[in-house]
This record gives sequence, structure tokens and C-alpha cells, in this order.
Amino acid sequence: MGDSQKGNAKEKDVRLSNIIAAKAVADTIRTSLGPRGMDKMIQKADGEVLITNDGATILSQLQVFHPTAQMLVQVSKSQDIEAGDGTTGVCVIAGAFLSACTSLLTKGIHPTMIAESFKEANQKAEQILMGVAKPVDLAHRDSVLDAVNTCLSSKVVHQNADVLAPIAVDSVLNIIDPNTATNVDLNDIKIVKQVGGTMDDTELVHGLVLEKGAKHTAGGPSKVKDAKVALIQFCVSAPKTDMENNVVVSDYAAMDRLLKEERKYIIELCKKIKKSGCNVLLIQKSILRDAYNDLSLHYLAKLDIMVVTDIERSDVDFIARTMNLQPIAHVDEMSADKLGKCAIAEEVSIAGSTSRVVKMTGIEKMGKTITILMRGSTKLTLDEADRSVHDALCVVRAIVKKRYMIAGGGAPEAEVALKLTEWSKSLTGVRSYCARAFAEALEIIPYTLAENAGLNAIRMVTELRNRHAAGDVYAGINVKKGCISNMWDEHVVQPLLVSTSEISLSTECVGMILKIDDLVPVR
Amino acid sequence: RIKPTNETRNNRREQQSVSQSVSQSVMFPSQVMPNIFNAQGGTEDERGERARIASYMGAIAVADLVKTTLGPKGMDKILQPVSGDPNSKVIVTNDGATILRSVPVDNPAAKIIVDVSKTQDSEVGDGTTSVAVLAGEFVREAEKLVMRRIHPQTIIEGWRAAVKVARKALEDVSVDHSADKAAFRRDLVNIAKTTLSSKILNVDKDKFANLAVDAVLRLKGSIDLSMIQIIKKVGGSLRDSYLDEGFILDKQIGVGQPKRIENARIMVANTSMDTDKIKIYGAKVKVDSMSAVASIEQAEKNKMKKKVDKILSHNINVFINRQLIYNYPESLFADAGVMAIEHADFDGIERLALVTGAEILSTFDAVDTAVMGECKLIEEVVIGEDKVIRFSGVPKGEACTIVLRGASSHILDEAERSMHDALCILSQTTRDTRTLLGGGSAEMLMANAVEELAKKTPGKQSLAIEAFAAALRALPTALADNAGFDSSELVTQLRALHYEGKHDLGIDMKTGEVGNMRELNITESFKSKFQMLISAHEAAEMILRVDEIIKQAPRARGGDHPHA
Repeated sequence: MGDSQKGNAKEKDVRLSNIIAAKAVADTIRTSLGPRGMDKMIQKADGEVLITNDGATILSQLQVFHPTAQMLVQVSKSQDIEAGDGTTGVCVIAGAFLSACTSLLTKGIHPTMIAESFKEANQKAEQILMGVAKPVDLAHRDSVLDAVNTCLSSKVVHQNADVLAPIAVDSVLNIIDPNTATNVDLNDIKIVKQVGGTMDDTELVHGLVLEKGAKHTAGGPSKVKDAKVALIQFCVSAPKTDMENNVVVSDYAAMDRLLKEERKYIIELCKKIKKSGCNVLLIQKSILRDAYNDLSLHYLAKLDIMVVTDIERSDVDFIARTMNLQPIAHVDEMSADKLGKCAIAEEVSIAGSTSRVVKMTGIEKMGKTITILMRGSTKLTLDEADRSVHDALCVVRAIVKKRYMIAGGGAPEAEVALKLTEWSKSLTGVRSYCARAFAEALEIIPYTLAENAGLNAIRMVTELRNRHAAGDVYAGINVKKGCISNMWDEHVVQPLLVSTSEISLSTECVGMILKIDDLVPVR
Repeated sequence: RIKPTNETRNNRREQQSVSQSVSQSVMFPSQVMPNIFNAQGGTEDERGERARIASYMGAIAVADLVKTTLGPKGMDKILQPVSGDPNSKVIVTNDGATILRSVPVDNPAAKIIVDVSKTQDSEVGDGTTSVAVLAGEFVREAEKLVMRRIHPQTIIEGWRAAVKVARKALEDVSVDHSADKAAFRRDLVNIAKTTLSSKILNVDKDKFANLAVDAVLRLKGSIDLSMIQIIKKVGGSLRDSYLDEGFILDKQIGVGQPKRIENARIMVANTSMDTDKIKIYGAKVKVDSMSAVASIEQAEKNKMKKKVDKILSHNINVFINRQLIYNYPESLFADAGVMAIEHADFDGIERLALVTGAEILSTFDAVDTAVMGECKLIEEVVIGEDKVIRFSGVPKGEACTIVLRGASSHILDEAERSMHDALCILSQTTRDTRTLLGGGSAEMLMANAVEELAKKTPGKQSLAIEAFAAALRALPTALADNAGFDSSELVTQLRALHYEGKHDLGIDMKTGEVGNMRELNITESFKSKFQMLISAHEAAEMILRVDEIIKQAPRARGGDHPHA
């Protein structure tokens, strides 16, 4: 029949080594799956240490050389882009599929046949998942919150989930119109990280937070009410031309004159700024010349203007949209209509650290953006919290994209495995074999969940199978209690998109790995 | 470096022993031959049997390398760069031309095969593997004949007669549906499906075949594929790919500028938006006061503003520049309510100019004669995580964008190559509208026609013609072998059935039996098959004519050149 393959020894060796390499990657991160999954500590080449539980992050730090191992890393990345969460799961599933393939290949089944059958099974799996999914209303905040809580439960920060989860949900719901939105641009949510305090101090700011404190060297104000904010892209310092220039000084008097002129020039600039009504000045970072100097800071302070410097160019767009202002690139363009207005702009010091941030709230005609001011006791926890919140935001986004939710805790995988096995019995030939292997491979998720939680994995998975066979489609592994229970009742839910994209991405990747029969060195 | 397989190596050893005895009896002893070449310079010289065998071996080895990628059950190869260059990327591919292009080849005959594949790629875009395999098979058959002491020129003569018959057979069996629009579209979809069935896009070939056909039919007979843009975005799966009417630019719109413009009047430019600099090294100004510096700075700013004013005087509402637009001009554009897009790469600019009908400008004095582009709507859309700018309703209705999504960049790259092959072959088919049947049926047909000729031809040439037929039959054999079918059984069955006049029969790759290709809709373009036959024959003939290989010494690097 058309699905067997003779092949030569070398071909088999190449395929086997490809599979082994990819599986090694999957096995590396398998232990970090689920709420009781462990973290990995990664020491980078420059000595920096990273502790994380996020599959995509671990894999992006691994320097894998083998081409197929790299493909697995890539799959995790695309899961990150597509769904944001489930980056570990996608690799674990891909690894399980590959194990299934090894045994199918030894039976002499042709690799393209396996790939085709898997693709078919994948489509069937999506239908099954759709069947057990429940539509979700974004207005119903609690159900979205459950999904985010499930996502955070497997992270380092899970004890702070009750703080972070509402923040994630509210921030997304704030920047979209729940009725019409089909996607969320996460760039509209700015995360500002500050070391100091604890994660519980993390707050959602309906306004703008700048990571840098105001300039105080000349005694400028640090709190301004009814602020009129200008974002300038020109420099408040001595003039400089693009062309090389020399100022020729012939005697001491000329030098004095020069200094005076410089001062006059700067005063002139500051006056123009003040004239527009501006009292908070944000200055974009400049590389080629000083964006400001002591002299200009001094004058600006005298004019009662609060100054924040070193605004990155990449942040300009965000600030402009949030504050509803227009960046000003030349001093003559300064006018009142280009300024953003807010009720209060103040410098806030972060408890437990010396750093300060500038907060602007009560913004007039604020754009659809929001800022999360994230706090944490150390840089490591802060970074991990950042990643976890990103995942949480992605979960909300996944729900916005596809407004369905399914149960978590291995319930969907167990259900798909069961239904697919039933379906495979209706098939004949190699297809049936492959579909069955596909179904069995999916049980890796509940199995790993139980294993990582220190439960008796085999007993758990078989019991789960039983419950599903009895028609309890929402039964999943309750990691906290160590038993099988209804996941909807436990509020363990996840977006449908995460599961479907996990399965389809890993199927696609496995299909590609299978089809490779040779490794050709090239220049 | 290509290494001959064990089997061929053994052959080679036998042949070498044969050739040694031949050369000793026929040729002069080597001492008598004057040393014409500067041996110290590293020039190498191989002649007679040795040269022949070296070139045959090289050609066959290269062809065998890509043989396993042939057909719908063909396998992929990983191309792994061995150099330490961290930027070099791993490629996973099934495309013969890509593999052959990347493999370092030293053997001159092997290079000919690689070149043939490249030619096929540029001429028709598809069939790059088939042409290399067929050329390799020709050489393999020729080798056997040469071993039987038949002169290469005799073989060549026989082949020339054979190729004529094969061409005629192809032309006779080809069908042309260009008169009937619906039938022609069906043909195109079938060709696309046949091409894609051997590629990564196989899994969703219905979708992608229709996608490619839609894109090509928009071209209305033009073969300018630059109108079809392919954008790759990691994430989602291949099934999420789609055809977007209009043009997509992967760039950002400037701050504070309108994000959506209807009935846009677009200027496409390639100009530097900072201060115009004097391009003399070391030019500088000398002043004696700070205010003079300030006034120069002001003058520079004014120059920028003047340029922007000039641009705005063209009455545009969209300005797209290949180079950077700095903060100051950007805010000026924002004030004027003009959308300004900076740093659109060269490729993007050229295509934009093409699809919007604009001319790329770099001076802005001729307001009346400058040609602006137009389009109905410009807006931001989100693909995956990225925001891109979409130009829809462009005057050139041909233009469209295929957005490919996939699990990894390897998959996307390979998908792009596959899509490109399909687009190439389809656009070629809109030119030469004849079609053929695939699945090895065209090859079997040619082989039988050639064999008929052999029976009628007296003399040694007949053997060469027979060999030609055998080489043609090697293609369906490889197809079957790759799928794990019993190739000898299938191919002989096919041959018998074709003799009965059942020319629609080929190998059904799903069941592994003989099947009717017309019913299975396995269609190939005439142009591709025809080109494959001609190029492979030419290449094989070229290799066959070789009796001496002179390898010139590599040019010495550094100062001490031996001949200097």
C-alpha cells in the first residue's frame, strides 16, 4: 500500500537523530508544566541569572544547535505570538507526538502518511474542543478572571494572582471596546517595572507613568496641578549645526561674549517654552548632542517647569497617544494646542528603593492606553512577574480573539484523546493507526500535570479516562486536592485558542520534522 | 562535498580497472606525453576514460542527492551551514534548486547538473528536481553504453533522434483549454495542486492552489510576479494564510498623523530628510559668535522646512520615503495632516511605486510633471502581533499580497519557496496554456514513443535510443520508490498499458496502483515538462562529449604569484 516505506539505513538514522534532538528539548521543559511545575534557573553567558517557569523564555535562552531542536524552540515562540500562554504545553505535546512517530515509523509507515493523518486528526481534535467549549461574554468579568487565575497558577507569582489577575483583566478591558474588538494590541499596555516594595503593591494606573524621576538639580517642582505637558524632540542646549563648525575666539573679551550669548540663547528657548503655557516638559533622548544642560535646567526650574528627560524615541508614540498631545520638534512650533493636559503630574518615590517615577493622572481626552506599575522585591522576581503578567494579558487577548473557554487541568486533552480514539475506530488502514497514536500522545498533558504534582500519574490518568468515558467531559486533574474533579466547578478554565493552537502548531512542526530524510552540510 | 554511495564506488573501482587496461592498450604511455601544462602551478589534467568516469560519477551523485525529494512522497533535506557564521540559517527544503544551489560542488559535470536545475528554476520555476534527476539518468544510461564500447558521438546522435520523437509525443498529447475560462481555471488549480502536492503546503493544497490561482489570474496574463507580494508572519498555522487584495507594507505610520486615509494621493520618494550636506570631506564653517551658530542651525532647519513645503505643494496626503524622516519633518507632516511613512526598504518602495502608479522622486521642483500614486484606502491592520499598513484599492488591480502564517520560520521559508514555485508555474501556464498529465504518465508516453523509434532504427544508434527510453522511465520509478511502492511492477504495468494506447494512465500515489490521471486531476504544465526534457537532454549531451578535464590551478592569493 501507498503508506509504507522501505527507505535505507541512513535515512532512518537521520530521522531518528532528528526526533531524539527535538525530544530532548521537550523533555527539558516538561517538568515546568502546570501549577506544580518547577522553575528553571538559567545562568547566561554574561553571568546574569534568570529564574523562570515560562516555556518560551527558557527555550529562547537555550542555545540549541541541532536544527530540529531549533524548530521546537521556534514553535514555542509562535505559540507565544499566537496565544501567549501554553508555550510549555506546545513543546511537550510536540515531544509526545514525536515519540508516537518513532513507533509508527518502526512499523514501516511512510512519514508523509503519518503527517497527513496527524493533520486530519488535528482538525478533528479542533472540532471536539469546540464541542466542549463554552462561549464567554467579556462583560462577565469573573469568568475571564478565572482563566487568568488558571494561567497564573502555574507561575512563580501565583500567590499574588489575586492582585495581578484583576489588573490584567481590567487593563485589557479598558483599552478595547468589548463588543466590537477582535484583537488587542498589547503595545497599548505599558508595563513599568520598579524594584522595591512587594508584588502586592503593583497597581494599575489610568494615566501615564514615566520610569524616570524629574530633574531636581536646579530645584524644579516635583508636583504640578493642572499640568500642561509638552513632549519636545529638540534640544534645550547650546546650538549645534549638522555641519562641522568652529567658533574662533581671538581674545578673552570674545569668550565672555560667547558665554553671554549662549546664556541668552537658552533663556530665549526657555521663554518660548513657557510662553506656550507648558509647565511639564518631557525631553526626548538625544545622542548626537546634549538634550539639556545645567544652564537650561536652571532656567526651566526658575520658570516653574517640571522637567523629565531621556524619553526614548520608541516611547514617544505611546506618550503622544496616551496624553493626546503632539510631539514638538522645533521651538517655534510650541503652541498651546499641542500640549497634553492632565489634572496632576507628580513625582512619586517607590517605597523601599531610591528610585522615583513620574505619574500623570486625570488626563484630559486620554487615549485608549493604560499603564501597569509593577513592583517587586528583587529584579529577578520583577522580571518573572513581568513575563507572567504578559502571559496573563495574552490569555485575555486570546479570549477576545476567540470568545470561547474550555476547562483546564488536562480535561480538554483527555476528552480529545477519548473522542479521537473512538473516531479512529471508524477509520481503516494506516490512518486509524496514526489517529490512535495521536490521541494517546495527547494524554501526556494530564500525565505530566499529575507527575509534576507528585501524584500517582498512572492512577490519575486512568481514572480521568474513566470519568471521561462515563460522559464527564469537564473532569480534570485537581492538582491542589490530588483528585479528579469537575474543572468548571473549580474555576480552572482556559481560552479555547490556547489549546487549539497548541495542538495545531505542534502538529505542523512534527509534520515538518518527519519529512526530513537527510542533513546536508552546506557553505 | 558529494560522496558517491558505496554502490557507485564499487562500480567505479571495477570501471577503473577496466579503463586502465583500455588506456594502456589504446593510449600512449604517459611518459611519452609531453607535459603541456605547468604541473607546478597546480593545473590538473584528466583525460580519456578517467575523465569520462569522473564526470559521469559527479553528475550521477548530484542527481541521486535530490532523487529522494521527488514527488508527493519525496522527503525534505536539512541544509546545515558548516561555517561558523552565526548568521547562516538552517534551511529545511524539498525544492531541488534550493538544495543544489546550496551544496558545494567541486566536480565540473556535477556543476552542469546544478546549472540545469537553476535554469529550470528561472525558466519555469518548477520541476527543478525532475530535471536534475532526468539528466542524471541520461548520464547513467550513457555510462552503460560507453562501457559497451559505443562511441559517445553515436549515443549523442541516437539521443537527438529520440528527443525529437519525445517532443512530438509530448506536443501531440498536450491539451489546451484556454478558450474555455472555467475549464482553464480548473486546469490551473489542478496544476497548482500537483505542484504543491510535493511540497510542505500539501496538507492544505486545495486552499493554497486556489490562493495561487487567484493571485495569478489577477495578473491577467502578465508574468511579472513582483506584483504578488508574499509576507511571512510567524504564528498561527498554515491554514490561517490568506490572500489580501492590495499591498501590505510592514512599517509604522509617524506619530500624531492620521492612521486611516481614504482616496490617498501618495508621493513615493527616495530622499534624505535631514539637512542637505555638502559632500566635501572636511568642509566646515568658522564663526566668531554663538548667535552665528544658532543662526546656522536655524538655516539648516529652514532648509528642512523648505523641502517639506515643496513636498507638500504637490497636494499629497501620504508621503512615503525610503530613507529616514527625522523628528522635525515628521512633526511638520503631522501638522499638515499628511501620513508620512519612513524607512520603507528598497523593495517596498519599488513595489509601492509599481502598484500605486507613482514615480519614485528625489527632487521636488517639477510640481506639474511629477507623478503621484493613488489608492482608495490606507489603514493599519494587525497580523499576528504586528501592525502593518495596508493599501487597498490600488489602481493596478493586479497587485495582491499573500500573507503566510506558520508555526516556525523554517516552515514559513519553505512555504514561501513552494508558493513561489506554484506562482511561477501558473504564470507560465497563462502564457503557454497547454497542459499534460502528471503522475509519470507523460514520461511513460515519451518512453514508449522513443522505444518505437528504436525498433525501426538500424545500427548502434538504436541502442542509444533504447537507453533514452529507459532513462525516461526512471522518473516514474523514482516516484514509486520514494513512496515505497513496488516500482518495477508498477512501471512495467504502466508500460504495457501505454502500449495498448491508454495514455491517461499513471501512478496513483494514494493507492499505489495504476490510475487514470485525467480522472484524478493530476495535471502538469506542458512548458515545464517540455523544458525539463530539453534541458536534461542538453546537459547530458554536454557531459557526454567530455573527454578531458583540465583543472586550472586556483589563483594564488597574496603576493607570491607563481607566474608573476
